Amino acid sequence: MTTTATGRLFDDVGTARSAEEQMATDVAMLEAVADGASPALRLYEWSPPALSLGRFQPLADVDEEACDRAGVEVVRRPTGGRALLHGGDLTYAVAIPRPAGPAGSVDAVYCRLAAPLIAGLAQLGVHASVARHDGRATGPVCFTSMQGADLRVGERKLCGSAQVRRGGAVLQHGSVLLRRLPVDEVALLHLRPGEDAQLARDQLRHRTVTLEELGAAVTAGAVAEALVDGLRSTLDMDFR
Amino acid sequence: MDFPEQLRYSTEHEWVAVDGVRARVGVTDFAQDALGDVVYVELPDVGLSVLAGSSCAEVESTKSVSEIYAPVSGVVVEVNETLVDTPEYVNQEPYGNGWIFAVEMSDPSEVDALLDAAGYRALVEEG
Repeated sequence: MTTTATGRLFDDVGTARSAEEQMATDVAMLEAVADGASPALRLYEWSPPALSLGRFQPLADVDEEACDRAGVEVVRRPTGGRALLHGGDLTYAVAIPRPAGPAGSVDAVYCRLAAPLIAGLAQLGVHASVARHDGRATGPVCFTSMQGADLRVGERKLCGSAQVRRGGAVLQHGSVLLRRLPVDEVALLHLRPGEDAQLARDQLRHRTVTLEELGAAVTAGAVAEALVDGLRSTLDMDFR
Repeated sequence: MDFPEQLRYSTEHEWVAVDGVRARVGVTDFAQDALGDVVYVELPDVGLSVLAGSSCAEVESTKSVSEIYAPVSGVVVEVNETLVDTPEYVNQEPYGNGWIFAVEMSDPSEVDALLDAAGYRALVEEG
């Protein structure tokens, strides 16, 4: 017999929060699940735009003055990975107890959560699949490399994801690209020696795709609804 | 998957090599495989007092950050600085050059509560 667990749903699309508050809310969600609360899913947008850095990414990667000039907040995520510009995306944060044994591995949890995300995107007419694994990421920009955690359409990345594991719980962040922002993400970062700014811009442009470019619905609310439906239909968990 | 007989294991997938009151700690072969490619290790400070079960280090693998717990109580007396430049040792040699820190134990009897190799193997195989 299959039992369906009930999780908590926080639809924060349209709720104004600073970037710091967004991350603090997700960490609180992770800690609550680690303390025994039921799984939780939160969906939100970023306004004003923000550049999030991975948990251990050097702050020296960021040109903070350029961020100030562009009106972009800078925040550190609790999750791994590299820098990511938010504002044209819908972010999901899902916190679940870490499954025991092999089902709790990083890849297994990504895989488990990829299916509902793919199902949700399919409702929008978008046929995404799990990305190939590029191996260790080197540059500072998240979206220029693909990992097994990411979702792609064709060969272009539509959704990047990252995890943190604490106290028996897992928090996974994911960012679904809705539209491109009129902000030069590469100019917000200090590139490393040997990295070429124009090449990085070209890579970002050619290795990523947005729902708008795919001709799909681009309102955050519609995408959030589709992702929640995907989770309900494919995961043994009903978020309410 | 390798689980050396001479080590003891925590349910959080750390291994412990005991030498008197000193315990060297790392993550198991199972754990490194579950984490994926390790790209960064946040080492504890030497001198840090730790309680068994408390978080004292973090490992970033490709797109994930995971806490590492102290399997025994005591004071951190040594950390593996080579992981700063070569974090991949955690994947390549989890029981050798991938060790993370060493603790001078305050209560060596805590080791008795850890799993032996057979017990740990059963834990990971039964899920």
